[in-house]
Amino acid sequence: MREDKLKEGIRDGPEYAGSITKYVFIESNHTTPNDLALHAYELAAPVMIKETCFGLQVTGDPDDVEAVITRIREVDPSHIFVKDRGFPPGDARRCRANMGGARPGYFGHEAEVAVLRYVSYGLQRMYHGDSISKSELEIIHPKERVELSDEHLLEIFNRDV
Amino acid sequence: MSERKVRIAQLSCGPDYSGVQKEINDAASAVGAEIFYPDLTLHEIKQNYKSFGLDVKSGDLKLAIARAVALVKGAVDADAVFITTCFRCAEAAITRNELRNYIHENSDLPVVSYSFTERTTSGTLLTRMEALTTIARRKALLARQRQVGITMGIDSGSATTKAIIMQDNEIIGTGWRPTIDVVESANEVIALALEEAGIQKSDIEAVGTTGYGRYLIGDKINADLVQEELSVNSKGAVFLADCQTGSATVIDIGGMDNKAISVQDGIPGTFTMGGICAGASGRFLEMTAKRLGVDITELGPLAMKGMENTVPMNSYCIVFGTQSLVNALAEGHSKADVAAAACHSVAEQVFEQQLQEVDIKDPVIMVGGSSLIQGLVRAMGNLLQTEIVVPSHSQYIGAVGAALLSSGYVEQKKKEERDA
Amino acid sequence: MAKVFIYPTTSLILSDMVTRLGHIPLGSALSVRDRVQQGGVEGIDSPPLNMTPDDAKRGLKWAAVEVPAGIRGRMSLIGPLLAEAEAAIIMNDPLAFGCMGCARTNELTTFLLKDAGIPVLELNYPETEEEGFAFVMAIKEFLAGLAQKGDEEKPEVQHE
Repeated sequence: MREDKLKEGIRDGPEYAGSITKYVFIESNHTTPNDLALHAYELAAPVMIKETCFGLQVTGDPDDVEAVITRIREVDPSHIFVKDRGFPPGDARRCRANMGGARPGYFGHEAEVAVLRYVSYGLQRMYHGDSISKSELEIIHPKERVELSDEHLLEIFNRDV
Repeated sequence: MSERKVRIAQLSCGPDYSGVQKEINDAASAVGAEIFYPDLTLHEIKQNYKSFGLDVKSGDLKLAIARAVALVKGAVDADAVFITTCFRCAEAAITRNELRNYIHENSDLPVVSYSFTERTTSGTLLTRMEALTTIARRKALLARQRQVGITMGIDSGSATTKAIIMQDNEIIGTGWRPTIDVVESANEVIALALEEAGIQKSDIEAVGTTGYGRYLIGDKINADLVQEELSVNSKGAVFLADCQTGSATVIDIGGMDNKAISVQDGIPGTFTMGGICAGASGRFLEMTAKRLGVDITELGPLAMKGMENTVPMNSYCIVFGTQSLVNALAEGHSKADVAAAACHSVAEQVFEQQLQEVDIKDPVIMVGGSSLIQGLVRAMGNLLQTEIVVPSHSQYIGAVGAALLSSGYVEQKKKEERDA
Repeated sequence: MAKVFIYPTTSLILSDMVTRLGHIPLGSALSVRDRVQQGGVEGIDSPPLNMTPDDAKRGLKWAAVEVPAGIRGRMSLIGPLLAEAEAAIIMNDPLAFGCMGCARTNELTTFLLKDAGIPVLELNYPETEEEGFAFVMAIKEFLAGLAQKGDEEKPEVQHE
């Protein structure tokens, strides 16, 4: 039974063909991974939930996982971030214990987690219904250096001199 | 009793995406080693990468750099280092070379680097991994500088099989035959060496084997030591050239592959081993001799009389190399010039393709059968701008190294006999 | 609901933003999941990612044979997602590893995205609260634009 297998703990990824795993990250001083897990368990969905240092990993059939994620997001919409994971949790091929070091993706997450608070701030304002002006929006777009045309340069030169 | 696994730190970009990570793991596991990735925090990655100073764009190369710095600092324990990146990637090649030099110069860790394609197999990596683990695991064995008792070394190479018998630090018997049937050729060279030494097989106290046929021969004659040729040749070279302490570089242009080994106190530090195309091997010189109608032993002296720069010949591929050779002869160039050009061509390929990967330090010792071809030694000396050392018995290098190293078992066996 | 390619393909932030705002993020985790799970189905055992030399060969569709194996292998993960993408969000100068660990693959990926003629939004990583707000709103506007465009195009599609 799929449910039983999930409860046994995932060690062998291929047995879970058809399942999905999602990472749940929390960027909050008020909510702990344990709080999230409790909300997730309330649904009694047939998924495996693993608490981690950054949040949770939820594994199971896609619909079940989605239902649990929707419930978890409700706890703190602006401070919970969710992402797909290719491996099931504890997969020996990617486990830190077997590799000696963290999987490469971990460092990528670590780098993004450092700026999550700014995104959380933006999300709070978005949910609050705040609007943004065009100039305020511009600051996040990469700026291209525009080369001045000869005419424009001459114009500035003539004006300033 | 099982030995502790040798822990090899992997610094890499791309093997997991090229389908070769399993091959790396398998090669390591076959020689009693395990691959691991030095663990760092993101902060350490940023800090170490910045301190190293090489500006790269690829994240995985930044990670490799940061891990190398952690290994050198001693923040992470490892027995050896394996650096591997994609073949044909310039950014990775620069990083690989710089990391290899950095680790070699700043730590005692043996390091080997390799650029893979998706065709790389564990078989290709095996000798390199074996050398890495030997250096890590058998430093005491490799530290031996003097041969004791009566020992024999057999080098079963792809082109020739060699045997050496040593007694009390002197060579007393030699045997050399082309490799035809691996076991039969070995039996022949053993018989030759015994005859020259004037002793019986039963007088031999320990035996070591090396070269491609080392496992088969080692099994047949119940050898005490079965060892890959990288560490054995290094040992043989510094023993014969009488430079067992300090740094040295060993170059062995073989029949099937070439080895370039940077040695410190007789122990290999960094090394490369290549053999993709025969235009850069001793095999090409054999073909040249045949085409010129001279014996391979005459090719060297002939080349010394010629001018290499009068004949255009520069190919990694034996087929194209032979074409140049045939064209040159058809154009009326002298045999001496063609012989010199062939020697230069092989030396140049090895110089361009392999010697860039090791730290060349004097003395540069050339060994193996090809070191007897003076024209080749001269060409290599010209390219490296140094006087190359070719020790006596250089063609027996592997066999000498095996005889020397196996003598470590003589005292051990005597002790076991006494205890029994 | 549009399929939106995310760059970095491993991005937590973009994966979350796209999903949160009602669309489907296309990231490398989806391709990795296929490989990891195919072991059980097809008996492939090539840890860690269950990628084999065949993946590097499949990558020839996006990069020629003289291109290093690691790039072609990574393209075999990313390429099929590019084909599915209806839009893309690209974040500048990410510090990322693994699937995103090769700069040459990344250059090829962003080029192919810009070359595909799909809507592309380019952004910096936010480094202040103001930038965080602009970041969220820029993505919101971009994705809302896709939804509108999708609605406008729908009748035509049905008509065909």
